Amino acid sequence: MNRLNVVAALFGVAFGFLFAAAGLNQYDVIHSMLLLENFEPFLIMGSAMGTALPLLWILERRGFQTPIGGPLALTRWQFERKHIQGGVVFGTGWAITGACPGTISTTLGAGSLMGLVLMAGALAGIYAHDAFVQRTTHLNYQELSESFTAAD
Amino acid sequence: MLDLLPVPMPWYIVGPLLGMVVAGLYATINKHFGISGAYVQIVHLAQGLPVEAWRLWLLGGTVGGAALVAILGESPQFGLGYGVLGELLPAGALAVVLFVGGLLIGFGARWAGACTSGHGLSGCATRSPGSLVAVMTFMVTAVGVTLFMHLVTGGRL
Repeated sequence: MNRLNVVAALFGVAFGFLFAAAGLNQYDVIHSMLLLENFEPFLIMGSAMGTALPLLWILERRGFQTPIGGPLALTRWQFERKHIQGGVVFGTGWAITGACPGTISTTLGAGSLMGLVLMAGALAGIYAHDAFVQRTTHLNYQELSESFTAAD
Repeated sequence: MLDLLPVPMPWYIVGPLLGMVVAGLYATINKHFGISGAYVQIVHLAQGLPVEAWRLWLLGGTVGGAALVAILGESPQFGLGYGVLGELLPAGALAVVLFVGGLLIGFGARWAGACTSGHGLSGCATRSPGSLVAVMTFMVTAVGVTLFMHLVTGGRL
């Protein structure tokens, strides 16, 4: 267990706590947002971005040195078609289940057995995607992971 | 469970603090916050491929943080509960729907390179052009599909 993992775990706890405390790990909350009846989750997303964006902008401009990860380097992806293609598939699954990956892990933490089903589905989906890409492009693992650098 | 925590906490507390989690992960370990990336590590683990361990620690943390809320506050989804959808569908059908929906979530997030956290929270905060497009796409899609389900179920969903 190194410092990197400990810090990541602590931020994970904070995220999971906040996510669940706002009820974002509940179907009814996400569903009412997507029905455009409940704007609280939009306000959460908006104010989170509104907080993180200027902080990261300032740190980046100052050439901030992080204590564990070296000079700050923000991840940015140039637009590709996959952002739309994957976005449509992801959005459909999100609408059907009222769940995204963050919802799934935090609903599991809340003791939901349905969270296990969602998790199994999501892992199978990732596996299916990679198997499909490997089959159609004949990329090996190394090339595949390079084409999906920093998949978050 | 213990009703010690006033839930749900309001957006003006949760939102800025979530933003500080995203900025804080960058400011300490220089990593882009994202959850689906950790799911990829679980698949890699099962396949015997190299794994980025910090992502698994982050994911484990989110499970623990949510468990804390369930213990200190409340957990309406404990066990088999699944809100309005759970009332509409019997448990077996619900499980099938959630598994298929989960498949789409995993497939789509992997295809788009990230999910609501990696593209949504963090990607927008780093002003990533691809993330902005992905967010607009899955937002519009999800609202459209949800309104469609609302129509075909006669407003029960």
